[in-house]
Amino acid sequence: MIGFLHPWVLLGLPFAAVPLILHLIQRRDPPTVEFPAVRYLVQVTQEHQRRLRLRHWLLLLVRTLLILALVLAAAGPSAPIREAASHSPSALVLVVDDSPSSGAILSGTARLNQLRTTARRILDRATPSDALWLITSDRVARRGAPVELIHAVDSLSPSVMRLDLGRAVSLAGEVLATDSRPGGIVVLSDLQETALSPASPNVPVVVAGPEEPPSPNVGLTRLDAGAQPWTPEGGTVIVTASGDSGIPAPVSVGLGDRPGRQALVPAGGSASFALAGTAPGWWTLRASKSPDELRADDDRVGLVRVSSVARGNWDPGDRYLGAAADVLVASGRLAQGPELSLGRLGPGASVILPPADPALVGALNRALERRGAGWRFGTLVVTPTISDSGPLLGRVQVLRRYTLEPLRSGATSSVIARAGGTPWIVKSGDLVLLGSRLDPQWTSLPLSASFMPFMDALVNRLARGSLVLLEGAPGEQVLLPDAVTEVTRIGRRWRVEGGGGFRPTLPGIYYLLAGRDTVGGVSVNVDPRESALAPARNAAIESLWRGARVIRLTDAPAAAFAGAGRASLQGALLWLALALMLCEVALASGHRRSA
Amino acid sequence: MTAPTASSRRRFDLLDPHEASRLAGLELLTEGIVEGFLTGLHRSPRRGFSVEFAEHRTYQPGDELRYVDWKLLGRKDRLYVKQYEEETNLRAMLVMDVSRSMAWSGDPARVLTKLEYVQRLVAALALLLIRQRDATGLIAFDEAVRAVVPARARTTHWQQLLGTVAHLAPGLGTAAEPALRRVVALLRRRGLVVFISDLLLERDLTLRALKFLRHRGHQVMVLHVMDPRELALAGPAEARFEDPETRIGVTLRPKDWAEAYRETVTGVVSAWRRACRGSGIQYHHITTETPFGLALRRVLARPTGPA
Repeated sequence: MIGFLHPWVLLGLPFAAVPLILHLIQRRDPPTVEFPAVRYLVQVTQEHQRRLRLRHWLLLLVRTLLILALVLAAAGPSAPIREAASHSPSALVLVVDDSPSSGAILSGTARLNQLRTTARRILDRATPSDALWLITSDRVARRGAPVELIHAVDSLSPSVMRLDLGRAVSLAGEVLATDSRPGGIVVLSDLQETALSPASPNVPVVVAGPEEPPSPNVGLTRLDAGAQPWTPEGGTVIVTASGDSGIPAPVSVGLGDRPGRQALVPAGGSASFALAGTAPGWWTLRASKSPDELRADDDRVGLVRVSSVARGNWDPGDRYLGAAADVLVASGRLAQGPELSLGRLGPGASVILPPADPALVGALNRALERRGAGWRFGTLVVTPTISDSGPLLGRVQVLRRYTLEPLRSGATSSVIARAGGTPWIVKSGDLVLLGSRLDPQWTSLPLSASFMPFMDALVNRLARGSLVLLEGAPGEQVLLPDAVTEVTRIGRRWRVEGGGGFRPTLPGIYYLLAGRDTVGGVSVNVDPRESALAPARNAAIESLWRGARVIRLTDAPAAAFAGAGRASLQGALLWLALALMLCEVALASGHRRSA
Repeated sequence: MTAPTASSRRRFDLLDPHEASRLAGLELLTEGIVEGFLTGLHRSPRRGFSVEFAEHRTYQPGDELRYVDWKLLGRKDRLYVKQYEEETNLRAMLVMDVSRSMAWSGDPARVLTKLEYVQRLVAALALLLIRQRDATGLIAFDEAVRAVVPARARTTHWQQLLGTVAHLAPGLGTAAEPALRRVVALLRRRGLVVFISDLLLERDLTLRALKFLRHRGHQVMVLHVMDPRELALAGPAEARFEDPETRIGVTLRPKDWAEAYRETVTGVVSAWRRACRGSGIQYHHITTETPFGLALRRVLARPTGPA
């Protein structure tokens, strides 16, 4: 089959009609000229007409063929020489998709087995003079001899890492660019639509996937433990499932080793699970559904922090702060006690608002300095502004505020929210400073819907210490908070730098440590996109990767080294164009001479 | 006879026909052409006298004294010589094509139509012949005979011829044979027949008629008049070329066919020349750019021999 390196150039094929169109246009309504000696013209044309007409049509044909040949040559055509075992030395990158979806069972066997068999047959055709690479879901281009790569292929099992096929093809293109041999890329994959992304390989790409449609699948794609930390009284978990099966799947959700709660979760829907309370600490939340053809997305884990509610004191006369505290007490998120001071600087953790009387700001600043706080209240600003949107708080209107000024360098890293470009809420140790009083005359925050979630996070997370709960997928990088120094998982430890990235390799819970304290964790689960097994259409693949050929998996071994076994037709077409050009010149000059 | 104007004294016979035609009307132009032509010749090529009195003319040195009219000398005290009809050298018949194809010029701004050119040439030729006492007549034809002027040698006859020639309008088709047959009736004695045409006509019929005239003992001369654009095909990139007489048309690209056309026209001219020579007919090919003097010289250079 003839392939094209730049198939879009074929859009120029209609230009082959230009000579014919010009011919037709020129034939239309020629002017009439009075000429007495027409009898001589009749005599001339009768003698030469037939030969000239033949030559004329030949000229038209040659010009049309010339344009066709030039357009086809520009499209970079190539054709297989023959499908023989031998081929010229070539470079081949084999991309084998061993992502979690490749573990889907179809007709009693995993899809990956089909891909492995095909990969082995391709590598069997390789010769020692070929340069071979293997790329799998770990996105490492492994170079090796055919035997080594066959061994690597045989040892493949469904990975927990997602494989972005576009990135894999791009990587393959970069690898081939380093080799002078004629190259090609062979992608063996279940061709999930969600695995595709654009790529611009400059080498021929053969894409092979199974012909059979995938099995119906339902996978757990989200596990939401709600507001954290949980109180010892328990919490609520929402589980979301996705997939193309119409039957609700039975799902079990539980904390640690405790027996879980069960419910039916429809594909594309969610279910809420109320879990009983447990002792304070870090707990692994597990959700499992009944097994189906794809096992990788049947389980999901999360991290739950359970701790007693904050015990604080506040001024009941403060209209908005007092009301919010009362609501939190009523919902079990706050209790009366000496642990946390709300609205003023106390002996322990404190949420500090600026005093209503500006004369008291100086005394408050001196007290903050004595506590070793890194921030102080500055000048009063009465220009209305809008706060920045952040993870803790959305945009709210700020009418009056004190500027918050750092007392030491480096304190700016603990800014939680800004208003008018300057710090508005900051944290320093166990102290949280707000630039505005919680009053509608200062800010619209007390009247907004986000006020209560903000207050909950303020008393239970910010003031009592940070709680970092992150989510990730195997192989994907997670950005860690500044304070994190170590990551642990089931006895393994990784020293990390705060603010840097960490790439978990397996699903599960990774705890984040700041010194000796556990400050949070990363819930690592299989990428939810792996649950969607629907394959991409061939046209979509060919449009994403220009020049790609989508074939059946069984045809892949024959087509694998077609890049080397393919002969470029460009040269032949250019020679043909040259010959046609000479013909055109000869015919055109002969035409004029004889006419 | 009216003297030529100052501008016409510029040897009209050697000027470009179109330019010369702009300088004077038909009569003056013709006289200018003839004067210029005769000046070039220095003397008239022929002169003669008849026994049948035709008219008197002023004696000129060299005239034979026996033809002096002594009685008239006695009455008017001036020398006149008698001229006789029977002694004119020749009876000439000018057969002129005035078909539609003759009223065409490839470049009207620079070149006379074939008809305009032939009108001036015929007038000049007639004046020359009449001046040398040759009886000269005219037949004009298109698809039929349009005008007939019997041959006369009187000086005033030229004015009659000139009036006829000047008012000839282009006709439609071309049929030379009836006109040539009419010549047979008009020229009972041997004479000169000058056939002037673009020869876009039935070749075989015309040749047969010309040969018949030759067979009757007449000197026959064919003046094949062509426009320069009829010799070299030109025009727009592609055009429909249409015959003004028959409305037959051919659509072609002149650039593609110019060479073949030129060869064909050359072949046609050669064929006419060969056919005429083979029958003792003088043949002259003249384009409408040829100065009248050159055309006359070519016609009168060897009046009795083949061209």
